[in-house]
Amino acid sequence: MYPSLENLTREGDRMAELDVIARDSWFDADTGELDRRVFSDQQLYQEELKKIFARAWNFMCHESQIPDPGSFFLNRIGDDHVIVVRDRKNQVQVLLNSCAHRGNTVCRADQGKTRSFFCSYHGWNYDLDGKLLAIPGEKDFYRNDIDREALGLATAAQVSSYKGFVFATLDPAAPPLEEYLGWVGRLGIDSIAARGEIEVVDGIQKNRVRCNWKLAVDNLFDWYHPKVTHGSAMRTGLVSVADMYPLNQMVILGEYGHAIGGPGVSEEKQAELTEKFHGKNRSEAADRRDYHNAWKTSDEAREILGPVGVRSRGHPNIFPNLWITLGGTQACLRIPCGPLETELWWFTFVEKSMSAEAKRDLIQAATHIFGPAGLLEQDDGENWSHSTRGSIGTVTGRRPVNLSMGRGHDKVKADPSGQSSIETVINEHGQRWTYRCWQEWMKADSWESLIENHSAAPTGVV
Amino acid sequence: MGALEDLSLQENMLLQYEVEQFLYHEARLLDERRFDEWLELLTEDVHYWMPVRRTTMVREIEKEFTAPGAMAFFDDDKKYLTMRVKKMSAGNAWSEDPPSRTRHFVTNIRIVDIQGDDLTIETNFHLYRTRLDSEEDSWIGRREDMLRRVDGNFMIARRHIFLEQTVIMAQNMSNLF
Repeated sequence: MYPSLENLTREGDRMAELDVIARDSWFDADTGELDRRVFSDQQLYQEELKKIFARAWNFMCHESQIPDPGSFFLNRIGDDHVIVVRDRKNQVQVLLNSCAHRGNTVCRADQGKTRSFFCSYHGWNYDLDGKLLAIPGEKDFYRNDIDREALGLATAAQVSSYKGFVFATLDPAAPPLEEYLGWVGRLGIDSIAARGEIEVVDGIQKNRVRCNWKLAVDNLFDWYHPKVTHGSAMRTGLVSVADMYPLNQMVILGEYGHAIGGPGVSEEKQAELTEKFHGKNRSEAADRRDYHNAWKTSDEAREILGPVGVRSRGHPNIFPNLWITLGGTQACLRIPCGPLETELWWFTFVEKSMSAEAKRDLIQAATHIFGPAGLLEQDDGENWSHSTRGSIGTVTGRRPVNLSMGRGHDKVKADPSGQSSIETVINEHGQRWTYRCWQEWMKADSWESLIENHSAAPTGVV
Repeated sequence: MGALEDLSLQENMLLQYEVEQFLYHEARLLDERRFDEWLELLTEDVHYWMPVRRTTMVREIEKEFTAPGAMAFFDDDKKYLTMRVKKMSAGNAWSEDPPSRTRHFVTNIRIVDIQGDDLTIETNFHLYRTRLDSEEDSWIGRREDMLRRVDGNFMIARRHIFLEQTVIMAQNMSNLF
């Protein structure tokens, strides 16, 4: 029943007894209702920084971005600023970008190559692995009474790489990266990495949207919106309705919130594609619409992605905030900047072996589809910023958002390979899974409790 | 047309006036959303490009902007610019419907080179945009344009846009610079 204003007010009185942060539950997996204040509440956001970003494995960069000792790339983990750098021993380090003396930023360039990190305040100088090399006045002013060993740059608790994708966590108790990713997270990254030897194209597009980070994240599972939101982009001929509104959907859900949602091809269709493209030089698949179909027909791709994964054309999200596009050509990091602002950072990947022309086509497609000027993405920010705004009103915010599509109508199909999928029509399974897992992260006191209490990927009816 | 250094002061002033009036006219077409007329000002081989910018140390300043062919915010030929215009008039381009309000300012206009019919023009610009009740964007930067004289009129053969932002502080760039 449509809630009257009176009902909302009564509901509000009940909700007002508790701060948003104090609720037992924000998301009801049975109804698909989510307290919309999770998109705007400041206290909840502060909790997210602690319980999600400071705990999770966060994507830092691809190894090709930092090829040599001294190559660095700045990134963020929640609201912590970090330097991702290759040290003299060729190890990738993730250092907090803050001087041990007064907290000043020690690296200000977004990327580049350096011999050390020199603090512009008092000249403390740090080696590429964070070790404090020198302090001006160590003898004369400090009278040699300072423990330089203890005053290096703080390092991430763990740094690890999966197929060239560098991740870091600030929590020493986090499980190893591969375990954290599970088969779904690994499949997500393999959706890029299995293309072959890849590298990042120079130029990370960044822009800032006035929206909560979770709206940008959950949108990637949303194949309900393209026909409406991106209708004008379809009119231009850049993308087709068939590409943007495919009725065959495949959802893959993994532990800790990793998920893949979007188009999937049937086994029959995959066999047809294999017939068409197998053994051909896949990077030369003339039409970019065929590119992601073509490269997934190779024996290696099938081996790496598995019999179910190879049929996915959906969008993986590596929890919490790394979106991989359906062709495995780009990844977008959604960096929270307060509850009401998010930065989007686009990384674009080419195969080293691609011809100059194939690279050019891929880069052109990336530039014209996504990024702030991309013909598709232009229209996304407005939805997300206004959905954020719609979570703020004192009374407006009392009505939950509805993520019920397909609930109870679909089944998880287990494949003998151990992979599993939900194959259905357009749905909101990915969104529900994301918020269910998000809630588990938010209710866990520690990694130990998250490991113990998190949901296994669902089986049976979903 | 002769080389720039061969022009007399008077010839140079007249040319400057002509270039300025053309750029003001172009800005007006964009602000009045007369995008089809704007497209007609572009040559068939136009290149419209805005590279990605990042903060670098002075010693690596040559890497501040991405090179042509790498990632860019805009890397358009006439086909893509026509798509942008088509999108804006599609009737369901939600980022531009209701429309943004824009005002283009073009200043510091300098003719820096003349090669036959092609004039290289450097300008500074300020593009101010508001949208709905409270969205406000302001983009300041430098443009390197190439204007080509075709049948006595100028056309735009190149526009390279260098923005004074590394992170684009806006939810999109659904407008033209």
